[in-house]
Amino acid sequence: MNEKKSFKAWIQSGKVNRKLCIFTFMLVPVALLVVFTYIPFFKMIGFSFYDMKYIGDRDFVGLQNYIEVFTRKDCFQALKLSLYYIVASFIQLALALYFASVLSFKVKGGGVFKGLMFFPYLVCGIAVGFIFKFFYTRGFVLDTVLQWCGFNLESLPYWLKDTSINNISVAATSIWRYMGQGMVMFIGAIMSVDSSLYEAGDIDGANSFQKFLYIILPNIKTIIVLNMILSITGSLSVFEPPYVITGGDFGTGTYFVIMNKLAHESQKVGLASAMAVVLLILIMIATLIQKGIEKYYFGVGDAEPLREVRKRKKRMELQAKGGTK
Amino acid sequence: MKNRILKRMLAASLAAAMMMSLSACGQKKSVEKQELDVTMDQITLGEDYTDIEADLKFLTHKTDAVDTTFKGYIEEFQKLYPNINIEYEGITDYANDITTRLTTGDWGDICMVPMTVDKDELGNYFTKLGDKASLAKSYEENMLNNYAYQNNVYGVPSMANVQGVVYNKAIFKEAGITELPTTPDEFLEDLQKIKDKTDAIPLYTNFAAGWTMTAWDAYIDGGATGDPDFVNTGLTKGENPFADRGDGTGPYAVYNTLYEAVKRGLTEDDPTTTDWEGSKGMLNNGEIGCMALGSWAVVQVQQAGDNADDIGYMAFPISVDGKQYVAAGPDYNYGINCNSSEDNQIAAMCYIKWLVEESGFAQGEGGLSIVTGDEYPEALKDLDGIDLVVNNPAEEGEENLYNDINNDSELGINVSGAIPTEIVEEAVSGTKTMEDMVAEWNEKWTSAQESNGVEH
Repeated sequence: MNEKKSFKAWIQSGKVNRKLCIFTFMLVPVALLVVFTYIPFFKMIGFSFYDMKYIGDRDFVGLQNYIEVFTRKDCFQALKLSLYYIVASFIQLALALYFASVLSFKVKGGGVFKGLMFFPYLVCGIAVGFIFKFFYTRGFVLDTVLQWCGFNLESLPYWLKDTSINNISVAATSIWRYMGQGMVMFIGAIMSVDSSLYEAGDIDGANSFQKFLYIILPNIKTIIVLNMILSITGSLSVFEPPYVITGGDFGTGTYFVIMNKLAHESQKVGLASAMAVVLLILIMIATLIQKGIEKYYFGVGDAEPLREVRKRKKRMELQAKGGTK
Repeated sequence: MKNRILKRMLAASLAAAMMMSLSACGQKKSVEKQELDVTMDQITLGEDYTDIEADLKFLTHKTDAVDTTFKGYIEEFQKLYPNINIEYEGITDYANDITTRLTTGDWGDICMVPMTVDKDELGNYFTKLGDKASLAKSYEENMLNNYAYQNNVYGVPSMANVQGVVYNKAIFKEAGITELPTTPDEFLEDLQKIKDKTDAIPLYTNFAAGWTMTAWDAYIDGGATGDPDFVNTGLTKGENPFADRGDGTGPYAVYNTLYEAVKRGLTEDDPTTTDWEGSKGMLNNGEIGCMALGSWAVVQVQQAGDNADDIGYMAFPISVDGKQYVAAGPDYNYGINCNSSEDNQIAAMCYIKWLVEESGFAQGEGGLSIVTGDEYPEALKDLDGIDLVVNNPAEEGEENLYNDINNDSELGINVSGAIPTEIVEEAVSGTKTMEDMVAEWNEKWTSAQESNGVEH
């Protein structure tokens, strides 16, 4: 029977048609993904085993580049700077959560505020860099504003030159830029919370803070954890702010900035590729650890946290032994 | 079941995408390289090839001139060669981008050859413009060395620069400086005078721009030693080239001048927020005393304000046995893509020849023309009487050695400005003394020398 069906009929039959649809729709995005992400990525892994420049011959050196990454002083020194950005990202998340929970209720001019706070995210990173370069210049925006507040110019530090604060100055720009994005994600999550819960809370006489703590927070914990993971992995690979604002000078060179310098100024493409691979592995490890902690303490989605499960098991074992107190 | 089919489809589309990209790669390589039998010196402008037809693409670092000066050049050139069209593409981050684009082979027809191409690789990317001896009949021979390999020249300089200091004559006068400094100590004293007696910033580092710091690297060879072989014998093969020579010459003297100037507060307050475009105007109207820049900067500073007459150019204040020298060397070189069609290559050669000999580009930019017998530009007349030193080429077989050591050591002399950058950082807020840094540079340089087979 089947063999007598024409090709046209076969291709129009529901099952084939659906698969064909999926296939053709997938083809373009997958092709783009492969061409612009996976091929360059695997090429880069290949490069990391060579002693090479952009132009000229390559020598296979095996793991030599990786050994150098781990024995160089500056590579892992630069990772310490990530701490500044991790702290900044937590401040940014806290602020975003605060504004999101305020703005997800009826507030006068809420839309305007949302727009204003989201706006920095739309500005391109390079432009943000230039904005803040002038913002921090001696006697420019920040100093002027602080002088209005009564500070004396003499007592103000050089925001980008002083090595004790310049990393904080640079990290602060990323709070400004990404806070709005986090906020919008949180607002979206808060909107999806069942409104009958609020009503129930009202009836029980919960105040706004209690509503936040017992209704909003548990309901959006997945998105908070997701944002935390993104922030920490993002903090390990900061590039634009230090590259544009200080060029990585005066001790602000992050891992990526140093990698870029090695690749472009010293032409050590193989070493820089190895650095990239090492960072990728570090980020993967960091993510796995975070995922584990999340599973243990908070539970994923609707699943119960592992810690609770274990506690219950222990209790039950104790009960079975008849040792309950 | 469904899952398995989906997975298979995914795999199939992946494979298809791979095939596509693979075949694209294959195609590129199958293009045969065109060998030319014409060289630049054999072309007579306005007589040969006047009917050649070509559309040329020209990659340039001079983004500001694409719509102005270069348009005029094209019009002039088309009077001789009406069928050659030239399209300029200005690249802002030229030094970085051009290397990546060169590797594709399909970047255009003419570009400014980047420093990153090793000499033995030149022939794989650029057309041979002629052999050195015949080109040297009309051009300064020692200006052709930078991109010459085994007597074949692959790049011709657009102009040549000398490495000195741009200064504001009015400010120097106001500070009571009657004679230009000839030693680092005199220079530092003069900067102090400017600080005490005028409102100007004595020396502006332009630290934030980054590339401007390489000007300090450019003083260390010919200018600081008077020796055209210093790059080869002193740096490439020399032992501890950065050590203090004790007589106020050599790399140490140059770098120490910068260190002391910053340490003594003779530079701007906050190096991290300097503004290159703004600095030209500030030097012009007397807010800055002097800046360390190649001679190409003179014209730009003169044009940046109303006081063009105040701007002067002096040699870097180092004297070797009582005599001052100025390092001179080629600016960016023109190179032609050897993967272009034959007509395009010949047309490009005509245009380059015209640019070098007829356009007046070098004079307009305040640089030296490389054509033998051309005069000094107006801005550099002050340097009359001071000897120009042009670096000699490396010995045969060692053409890449300097670049390799420079890259391996990560000191990036004349490339990244890593040394001057570190000096400013340490002088401002660091703990390292000049001696500590010198020891580190020497160590890095020596280990790079060793890994490239240089023994002392």
